Amino acid sequence: MSETIRYRGRIAQIRICLGKLLRMFLYQNDWKALPMSAIIAGLVTFAVGNNIFKTQEGTMSGCFSLVCVCIWNGFFNSIQSVCRERAIIKREHRSGMHITSYIAAHMIYQMLMCIAQTGILLGICALAGVQYPEKGLITQWFIVDFAVSMFLITYTADMISLAISCIVKNTTTAMTVMPFLLIFQLIFSGGLIYLEGPAEKLTDLTIAKWGLQDMCALCNINSQPNVTLWNTIWNFREFEMGGIQPVKMFTDDILKNNRLDEFLAKAGEYTQKEAYVSTAENVLTCWGAMIMMALLFAVIAIVSLEFVDQDSR
Amino acid sequence: MVMNMNLSWLEPYITVISQIALTVGLWALLKKCGNKGWYALIPGFRWYALSDCVGRESSGTGAMVSELVYLVQNVLALILPAENPVLVLVLLGDLVCQIFMAVYILRIAMGVCQVFNVKRYWSALWLFIPAIMACWFGFNRKKQPIYIDRYNDDGVLAGTRPAQLDEIIASRISEEDAARPGLHIRLRERTAMVQFKKRYLLKDVHLDIPNGSLVLLLGGSGAGKTTLVNAINGYEKADADIYLNGSNIYENYDQMKYRIGFVPQQDLLRMNDSVNGTLNDAALLRLPSDTSRAERRKIIDDVMETLGMAGRTSGLVAKKSGGQKKRISIGMELISDPDLFILDEPDSGLDGVIARELFEKLRRIADNGKIVIAITHTPDRVADLFDKVIVLARDSGRCGRLAFYGSPDEAREFFGRDTMERIVMCVNREEEGGEGRADEFINRYAAMINRKNAGSEETAETVTPEEKPEDTKETEKKPAEKTKTEKGKKQSGKNSSQKNKKKKKKNQKKGGSRS
Repeated sequence: MSETIRYRGRIAQIRICLGKLLRMFLYQNDWKALPMSAIIAGLVTFAVGNNIFKTQEGTMSGCFSLVCVCIWNGFFNSIQSVCRERAIIKREHRSGMHITSYIAAHMIYQMLMCIAQTGILLGICALAGVQYPEKGLITQWFIVDFAVSMFLITYTADMISLAISCIVKNTTTAMTVMPFLLIFQLIFSGGLIYLEGPAEKLTDLTIAKWGLQDMCALCNINSQPNVTLWNTIWNFREFEMGGIQPVKMFTDDILKNNRLDEFLAKAGEYTQKEAYVSTAENVLTCWGAMIMMALLFAVIAIVSLEFVDQDSR
Repeated sequence: MVMNMNLSWLEPYITVISQIALTVGLWALLKKCGNKGWYALIPGFRWYALSDCVGRESSGTGAMVSELVYLVQNVLALILPAENPVLVLVLLGDLVCQIFMAVYILRIAMGVCQVFNVKRYWSALWLFIPAIMACWFGFNRKKQPIYIDRYNDDGVLAGTRPAQLDEIIASRISEEDAARPGLHIRLRERTAMVQFKKRYLLKDVHLDIPNGSLVLLLGGSGAGKTTLVNAINGYEKADADIYLNGSNIYENYDQMKYRIGFVPQQDLLRMNDSVNGTLNDAALLRLPSDTSRAERRKIIDDVMETLGMAGRTSGLVAKKSGGQKKRISIGMELISDPDLFILDEPDSGLDGVIARELFEKLRRIADNGKIVIAITHTPDRVADLFDKVIVLARDSGRCGRLAFYGSPDEAREFFGRDTMERIVMCVNREEEGGEGRADEFINRYAAMINRKNAGSEETAETVTPEEKPEDTKETEKKPAEKTKTEKGKKQSGKNSSQKNKKKKKKNQKKGGSRS
């Protein structure tokens, strides 16, 4: 070899791959992910939107639902994106395409998709009349902090599914694995199902746990009233004991003295969780954990796809 | 009155006895299948050893891993205290392992039934009474394997003279030869680890292909065509010296990969991408980074014109016909103007006319000083276009070897067959509908080359009649039956090959220069 010819390096190849992905967005109907996320967001906010940010129960179920929507969106964005064209990637890799460039282009493209989906989700929430708190913990505006949180949850989920898509050989396997991942995320979020012992430790491995903790901290769930106790007592109003109705007397007394808010706030104090403490440090920890997870899964995606040449015919 | 007898004390005895019976039965069965009987003593590996005899190696690996994990879990279950929460996971794993084992053992049992020519439904009994089934197959003298489905581990073909081959044929290329223009292949062996064992996929393929050649690569399934192609283009490196116009492909792979174009059998294109976008991306990846946009556009236009697709690059790939998709796929590789161009069944799914048209275009590419190697399963419709034929055959040890390399006419004479398809049938296995004469032709070709290399006058062009197969001279038997058109074709083929030879001489003078 008399002289070495220079070909396009990694950075230049990112541009080529990104251009390809953007064309596929238009031609391969990848854009349909956006209206789909709007429909899912609409359904969820219709179901839980009224009490979100007002009571602990409403905020918890609302945040959990939003986390689920974000994870769902992220998973579906890229679960098939690599495995459906694995043979093509193998050909391109052998022709000089760098896997790092290919994955980096996917990361940028998925970032744009996740930003768009976050915008849609927030827009749908606004349309459903969700009243956001005003003050944020990291920035001055709650909506910005909340948007970053939703984006990070979606993007981390996206990176997990991208890694799965790089590991598996075909779309059938990818779609078989995805429900297991989704169930794992939901069960081990630590939000709705109470976990303890080794099971609790597993929650650290889920986006749902960090996402829920992040959102609850932002919403300052610990300062919100808890209505479960009052609702339970209210259901026992007719309970008689020795010819009198002590529960009814108690509730009537509370209402008569206009001390319901005080009661609900006091009940809220008893159900506070340390994990949801509303501090900037807590929120940043959650963001950091999600960013680390996203980067880790991106590395896994690159490493596993580097072996694409070894795919059998 | 029904007596409630507690027979649980019998359970450990039954387990031990059934394990001993299974081991003894497998020992006998393995010996019957030509494997080492004592393998039956090794937990896990015993299933692999059995699967190796019945052609179910992947299931054997699964069964081996499952049984070993199962054993580990059983030990853990004995060690762990009852209140330990991990025990639940261990027991869950136990259950999963048993399901895996059942499936893998069933697959192996089906292989056993096939080898012993027993109805397949007997394999179901292996799940419930494996010890009895192993003893039944192992000790029943009436049950004998009708064949053994095993690889030949030594990679040496019975009936051939590999030692002699190694001695005489230069398996290492001299510096002088390596520097000559063209493609020089000295492939000593290509092996792969399959189920923990070294398997020989290809052995002793030594070729010199001059520039400007259109080469047909022939061979039945499993003969090693794709393995050879992958070894040549450096995708799957073999123990070989491969030089393209003076450069070692393996040593300079990062640069050489741009000088080799490989078109896979399937149209590996993004169907929902635009044709222009696809070609432009291919150009960006394959052309040097200092190529300007205008130059790139010109190269793409030239390539598409060569392939007869000028002005038809708009729209989506999915909207194009099969032939056009194939040409786009070829165009993607042709953009980098490769010195060596390899195509895996470029005519698959194309009708005769379009396939012919495509090969004529490949002929033109070769005429520009390139080496074009094409695999095809319907070679006769385009046989006259080729300069050389490589025939690979799978020997009795399941290893791919060179059965012939020469011009199409020499191939017809060597095999005594008048068509390329019949040549393939000659070396194909009998179970594939072939004649199963691979060993014979590999041996004969090796002997011929040995003599040629040793300076004997008996060369490929002068194979003595004694060396020809008994049923040879198909081409010579009925010359009068040949139609005029066939003669005409042959004549035109000769003319074209004469022209090609002239062009080749020109190209050889040019050396590795790029057009």
